[in-house]
Amino acid sequence: MTKSEFLKSLCTSLHGLSDEDIKKSVDYYEEMIDDRMEDGKSEEEAVEGLGTIDEIKDNILEDIPITKIVKEKIKPKRTLKAWEIILLIIGSPVWIPVTAAMIIVALVLYLCFWIVILWLYACDFAVFFSGFASIFGAFVQNNGFNTGLFYAGSGIALVGVAILLFFGFTQIARGMIWVSKKIGLGIKRLFVGGKQK
Amino acid sequence: MENQMKRGLLDVCVLAAIKDEDSYGYQIVKDMSQYVEISESTLYPILRRLESSAMLNVRTAEHNGRLRKYYHITETGLERLQNFKDEWKELMQIYEFVTREEKNND
Repeated sequence: MTKSEFLKSLCTSLHGLSDEDIKKSVDYYEEMIDDRMEDGKSEEEAVEGLGTIDEIKDNILEDIPITKIVKEKIKPKRTLKAWEIILLIIGSPVWIPVTAAMIIVALVLYLCFWIVILWLYACDFAVFFSGFASIFGAFVQNNGFNTGLFYAGSGIALVGVAILLFFGFTQIARGMIWVSKKIGLGIKRLFVGGKQK
Repeated sequence: MENQMKRGLLDVCVLAAIKDEDSYGYQIVKDMSQYVEISESTLYPILRRLESSAMLNVRTAEHNGRLRKYYHITETGLERLQNFKDEWKELMQIYEFVTREEKNND
């Protein structure tokens, strides 16, 4: 791939970001290719060494907040004509509730995500606490030695289970955060990028 | 190494690469790659992050008939570097303590 082909397809793949963001990225990679060539690499080598366009795109997207990308997507590309503004006002009983609903759904999904994590740890705490209470109960009950032994034994087992679960749940929580990051990147990809030729 | 930690460390490395004199992207990658693995495309988001948190500022200068961006460290950036050094001094002492026994056994 030549330098101009590379920069052109980078530009296409970032379509949807603000003009400023695109220009900054393209300028940066152009400078990199020029510097690499000045260092003695051929044009081909200089471009190849930068990695694939998709990798570069993901790197750029990762640091741009999703809200900025969405805002850029819905921002009109030119000033609105009078009749368009009137249409927007007339249509407002429809599009305002719909947009609000979409934002709320997104917020709820986000909240659900953290609630699941909170729930996992709450469960773990409940198991731990009941084990603890059972051990305590072994000493305060007055149904004889055997019952006490049973209480204490099951209490210790529960505490053990809770400790094991804690590690398991931490892994699950980590996995979920990882997945949510990937989903975030996926959503950003939906908004950004034109068709590759 | 934890991803988050590595990210933070790379930020500091970039600041260190420009602390004595202004540098440009390709030079930063070259200087850093002797010590850590970094590519041009990983450097890009770091530079932007550091710029938006005012740890460095950018100026454009002409070089060989084209434009090149030079990165200059700010006061905030220098403070960040100092904090890093202080934090690690503490960590190194802990490391010293943790590995103390092993050394005595050798």
